Amino acid sequence: MDERILAALRLLPDYLGRHVLLSAAALALGCALALPLAIVAARRPAIRWPALAAASFVQTIPGLALLALFYPLLLGLSAFSTRILGVSVPALGFLPSLLALTLYSMLPILRNAVAGLTGVDAAVLEAADAVGMTARQRLLRVEAPLAAPVVMAGIRTAAVWTIGAATLSTAVGQTSLGNYIFTGLQTENWIFVLFGCAAAAAVALAADQLLGLIEVGARRRDAGRIGIGALGIALGVAAAFVPLASLGSAAYLVGAKNFSEQFILAELISDRLQATGATVERKEGLGSAVAFRALASSDIDVYVDYSGTLWANVLGRTDTPENAAMLAELSRELRARHGVVLLGALGFENAYALAMRRDRAMALGIASIADLSRRAGELTFGADLEFLSRPEWTSLRDAYGLKFKTQRSFTPTFMYRAVDSGEADVITAFSSDGRIAAQDLVVLPDPMHALPAYDAVLLISPRRATDATLTRALMPLVDKISVEHMREANYMIDRDTDKATPRDAARFLGRASGL
Amino acid sequence: MAKPLIEIDRAGKSFDGGRSFAVRDVSIAVEAGAFIALVGTSGSGKTTTLKFVNRLIEPDTGEVRIDGVSVATVAAPKLRRKIGYVFQGIGLFPHLSVAENIAVTPQLLGWSRADIAARVAELLDLVGLPQSYATRMPDALSGGQAQRVAVARAIAARPRIMLMDEPFGALDPVTRDALGGAYRDLHRRLALSTIMVTHDVQEAVLLADRIVVMSGGQVLAQDTPRALMANSASPEVAALMAMPRRQAERIRTILDGA
Repeated sequence: MDERILAALRLLPDYLGRHVLLSAAALALGCALALPLAIVAARRPAIRWPALAAASFVQTIPGLALLALFYPLLLGLSAFSTRILGVSVPALGFLPSLLALTLYSMLPILRNAVAGLTGVDAAVLEAADAVGMTARQRLLRVEAPLAAPVVMAGIRTAAVWTIGAATLSTAVGQTSLGNYIFTGLQTENWIFVLFGCAAAAAVALAADQLLGLIEVGARRRDAGRIGIGALGIALGVAAAFVPLASLGSAAYLVGAKNFSEQFILAELISDRLQATGATVERKEGLGSAVAFRALASSDIDVYVDYSGTLWANVLGRTDTPENAAMLAELSRELRARHGVVLLGALGFENAYALAMRRDRAMALGIASIADLSRRAGELTFGADLEFLSRPEWTSLRDAYGLKFKTQRSFTPTFMYRAVDSGEADVITAFSSDGRIAAQDLVVLPDPMHALPAYDAVLLISPRRATDATLTRALMPLVDKISVEHMREANYMIDRDTDKATPRDAARFLGRASGL
Repeated sequence: MAKPLIEIDRAGKSFDGGRSFAVRDVSIAVEAGAFIALVGTSGSGKTTTLKFVNRLIEPDTGEVRIDGVSVATVAAPKLRRKIGYVFQGIGLFPHLSVAENIAVTPQLLGWSRADIAARVAELLDLVGLPQSYATRMPDALSGGQAQRVAVARAIAARPRIMLMDEPFGALDPVTRDALGGAYRDLHRRLALSTIMVTHDVQEAVLLADRIVVMSGGQVLAQDTPRALMANSASPEVAALMAMPRRQAERIRTILDGA
C-alpha cells in the first residue's frame, strides 16, 4: 500500500476520535442552547424574530473566520480572568473550536424547533389545556412529541454542518480530520486531502443515518428505531474516547505554522521529546501571529520561529541589525516582555527573499532587488498569503521604491507554481526552500539590507521556561541543522512526485544532521 | 329551590381593552342535572361565556361559581380535570392511540393502571365504539368516531359538568343526529350537567331542557324550548325560535305537493 495511505491510517484513530468528540460536544451544546431558546421563541414572537435573525447572521460568517474570531476573544478573556481570578482560559484548540461550532450548529436546530412547536394544531393545544394539563405537561406530553420529527430533522442538518465545519478547527490548533486537509494542501499531498475529505464525509454520513433513524422513529412512534439510532450515536461517541485514553494526558504541546518546514521541525522536536519517554501532542497549521501568542500564553510549549519575523512582528522593529546582534537582543526582549525563552538558533535561515526564474531574470537584466525597481512596473509580484501585510514588505517596498504592475497572493505551493508558469514574475521565496534549486530560481540579492535576518530559532513557553527535560531534549538541535539539509528535507515533501511524509523527512533531517 | 351547581354571575369580557365587550353582564344559573343550550348567531358571545366556566377564557368582570366557590380561586389545570370539554375542533392527540387519548385525564389525576384500563373499556362501550378501536390511532378514525372518542375522553374522569362547544358542528347530518341523541342518553344516565353551545336552534330544541338565547354579548331570553317557541316578547328571539317550525312546515308543503 502507498506509504502516504499508511501514514494517514496511522493518524486516523487520533484525528477521527478528536473530530467526533468535538462535533458531538458542539452539537450537544448547540441543542442545549437552541432548544430552550426555541421553546421561549415559539411562545413569544417578540423574541422569535431577533433569535432567528441572530442565528442566521452567525451562519453567514464563514466558518474559518468564526473560528479565528474566537481566538483573540478568548485570549482577551484569558488575560482578564488571569488578572481577576488567577485562572487562565485556553484560547487555542478545543475551546474556541467548540464555541464557534456550537454557534454554527444553532440555526437549523432553532429554526426547526420553532417551526415544529408553532406548527402544532391549535385544536390539539386547546384540548391539552381543556383536559387539565399544566404548561409543562402540555410541553412534554403534547408539543415535544409532536414537534420531535421536525426538531430531529434540524438536529440532523446541524450534525452534518458541524462535522463538516469541524475540519476547519485545525487552523486554531484543534486536532481534527482537517489536519489531513490542511497539511495535505500545504505539502500537496493529495492523498491526505482526499483521505481527510472522505473520512469527514463518512462521519457526517454515519451521523446523518443514525439521527435519521431517530427522526423516522419519532415520526412513526417506533421506540425500536429511536433506540438503535441513539445506541449507535452513543457507541460512536464512546469509541471516540478510546484513542484519547490511550494517549494519556499529553505532557508537551508542540506547535507548527502552516508550511512543510514547520511540519518537519515539529516532527523532529516531537521525536526528540518522545525519546525521553514524554508524551507529545501537536498543534499544527497555526497562523504566524497566532503561533507566537499561543506560545506566550503557554497554549503550546515549543515551536520554531524566525528571528526576522519576531523582530518585525513581535518587537515591532524596522531596523535590520546583523544576525548575532538581532538574536541577542531578541532573546533579551522576548524574555523580558513575554517570559518566552529563546533556546537557540537551529543553524539555518529561512529568509524571505525575492526570487525569479533564471531565464526571466537574465532576459530582463535583473541581478538584484535594486535592478528590479526599474522594471517593476511591467512585472507581476506573487507573494505568500501574509507577506503583503507584514512590516517587512513595507520596509522593502520603501527602501527600493518597488511598484509592481500587479500583486497577487498565493499559498506557498501555488506561489512556486505561479512563478514556474509565468503567472508571476517575482515571488517571495523562502531561502531554505528546496524548490529554489529544483525550479532553477535565482534569489535576488538585497544590497540595502532592507530584509532582516531570519534565523530559525527554538522558542519555549513561559510555563516550560525552566523545564529540564525539554531543554535537555532540544538543546542538541541548536546549531546542528544546515540550510542544505533543511532544503533537502523540505524538497522531499514539496516535490511533485515521490513525495515523502513530514515524518520521513524529519527522520532524514535528524540522521543527516548527525542526531 | 336548591342552590344552582353553576352560577355565571354578571360576567363580561372585552378583547380590545374595554372599548367594546364580547360578553357583557351575562348571568346564567345551571341546576345539577340540567341540559342548557346557548344559542345565537356567530359573535353573540356564547363560546366566550362557555369558556368562562373552565377558565379557558378569564372574565374581566363578574365571576363564575361552582358549588358556590369562585372558579378563579381554583388552579386552572385542577379545575379543568373535573370538567369535561368537547369542541368542534375535536383535538384528539394525534400521537396517542384511542385508549391513550381517553386515558389522559385519569392519568393526570394519578389513577392506577388497572383502573384506567377498566375505565377505557367501559367508555368505549358507553360511546358505542368496538373494543378493537382502543389501539387505533386518531388518523384512522372517521369524524363521527373521532368525536365519540372525544366525548369518552371528556367524561373519562367522571366529571359532573360537561361543556360542549358546537360539538357535532362538523359532522354530516345523519351522524350528527345519532351522536346528539346518544349524548342526550349519556347525559341522563350519568347525571351530568351540560352546557352546550350551538348555532343550530333545532339541535338546541331537541336536546336541551332550557335554551339561553344570546345576541351582541348579552342574554336576550332564557326559558324552556316549549315556552320560547310558543311566545316571546322579543321579535329577534321569536324569529330565531320559529326557525325549526318554519323549516318543518316548508318540508310538509313539499311533501303534500308531491
